[in-house]
Amino acid sequence: MVNVILDLKNVTKRFGGLVAVDEVSFSVRRGEILGLIGPNGAGKTTLFNVITGVYKPEGGRVIFKGVDITGMPAHRIAKMGIAKTHQIVKPFNDMTVLENAMIGALFGKRSGKIGMGEAREVARRMVEFVGLGEKANHLASQLTLHEKKLLEIARALSAEPELLLLDEALAGLNPREIEESLGLIKRVNEEMGVTIIMVEHVMHAVMNIAERIVVLHYGRKISEGSPEEVANDPEVITAYLGDPSLALRFVRRRGA
Amino acid sequence: MSRAPGYLKSPTLLLIVVVVAYILGERLAGLMTLDALMLFMYFLGIAAALNIIMGFAGYVSFGHAVFLGIGAYTYILLVYFVPTMNSLQKMGAGLGVFAVAVVAGLAAAAVAATIGAVVLRLRGAFFAIATIGLDFAALYIVKGVVPTLNPEQFYGAQVILPSWAIVPKEDVFNAMLLTFLLVILTNYAVRRSGFGMGLLAIKEDEDAAEVLGVPTAKYKTIAFTLSAFFTGMLGAIFALNGGGVDEGIFHLGHSINMIVMIVIGGLGTVSGPIVGGIIYYWLYDLLLIHYPGLNLVILGIIVGLVVLFAPEGIIGILRKLTFQGVRLRELLE
Repeated sequence: MVNVILDLKNVTKRFGGLVAVDEVSFSVRRGEILGLIGPNGAGKTTLFNVITGVYKPEGGRVIFKGVDITGMPAHRIAKMGIAKTHQIVKPFNDMTVLENAMIGALFGKRSGKIGMGEAREVARRMVEFVGLGEKANHLASQLTLHEKKLLEIARALSAEPELLLLDEALAGLNPREIEESLGLIKRVNEEMGVTIIMVEHVMHAVMNIAERIVVLHYGRKISEGSPEEVANDPEVITAYLGDPSLALRFVRRRGA
Repeated sequence: MSRAPGYLKSPTLLLIVVVVAYILGERLAGLMTLDALMLFMYFLGIAAALNIIMGFAGYVSFGHAVFLGIGAYTYILLVYFVPTMNSLQKMGAGLGVFAVAVVAGLAAAAVAATIGAVVLRLRGAFFAIATIGLDFAALYIVKGVVPTLNPEQFYGAQVILPSWAIVPKEDVFNAMLLTFLLVILTNYAVRRSGFGMGLLAIKEDEDAAEVLGVPTAKYKTIAFTLSAFFTGMLGAIFALNGGGVDEGIFHLGHSINMIVMIVIGGLGTVSGPIVGGIIYYWLYDLLLIHYPGLNLVILGIIVGLVVLFAPEGIIGILRKLTFQGVRLRELLE
């Protein structure tokens, strides 16, 4: 049996009359990169917020490492080993890059067991890992968007997570920055052994890097499988990609 | 950081040492009255106390007069009605006063922990408005309850300590100094701890902090409670020095004084409330002597200017500067 790190079972989240996430079930295997795609408003960010405990789901269960974490407060879920980067970056602007990452280290996996000095070391390592070493003492507010996105990743990694949720880590970046970030995400996965779920709109990127893809549409899961399977799934093509030939082009670029 | 000259390693600690040396020096020299020195410590102390919740966690509380009042009334009523408390406060050249003030502080802290569980769910302006409500609620409760405790002796909500409950001023001074040191050093410890980092993260972005693992609800409540504890202690000793207490202690103006001091000095730093407190104390005195009647108007204008042009306060501005190649941000806490 495959080693499942996260198991979603019929997760449902409603906002008033709107069903943002509708009976969604899928599993994430330890060590993989899973892409989560779907048109705007498909419920991807909402699902992330359910997993991290920001929202309590109306139905279903979230099982992480065999423990039912449904409805647990967000800070406890963070301590269990799930970290997230935000779609709209949320740096602590009045803190330095290093201090931002220290917050991750102090309250992450080793929360309560890590001293200030050790937290600073972990933070420095992660800040350097994402390539912000030279900006460690800059205020977060002085960074560019690309750097702020990297800081989000450094801060999340400082928590020493087992599962990392990346919410559109590539949005708003130019092609060169996207390539760099993709390299970074691969290294996080391979060198640190962190399991990753990435919500992404940059299609060729996610098709390239993810081993498996889950497609959401109007809150429902409409497809799941390898990038090729998903891209050839008629329901995905009509719902999301629209044009079958366009979908196939993305798949071909995987080889390139 | 290594480039900093030795004496600049920790300007914050240096500032604390200088202020304490100044207080002790004045005490020995006897140029300032004990009352004036106590008022000085009281001002700096309440600013530092409020700083824990407002400076670090970013929650602007207009309700701290309530904690001053609870501390003051608890202390005064305890020594008035409980003979053992009255004997206790007369022991140990001020240590007894300190001990009873701790009880008074705990009363304020208990109320803060209870109220905090509710009001700390509110954010920004809504929290601030709710805390204004606390001042008025406390005022009416005290006006209603206190007179019934001893209808023959109490004039309204005013309780004046009889001569048998009066403590030598020197003792009160010692207790005030001890409390002052405690609140300042607590600020310093919080600033340097993971708890303090968590509070600063809450101030910056509470939702992001929670997702990163900061137990936001718990931390806010602890900060609010700790802040109220010291405020209550200071209120208690202040009232004792004044020989009693009346409902005026719940006046919103006391809360505003505290806010003004840390805004002038710089929110969320250890030195901010100290510097702000010193300036406020000095201005308050100066304006009261030279422009009685107009003093509050002038003070209001000064505060307005600070908020408009230097919202980070004096320490906030200094922290942006570089001195001999060293970023002051890394040194000034």
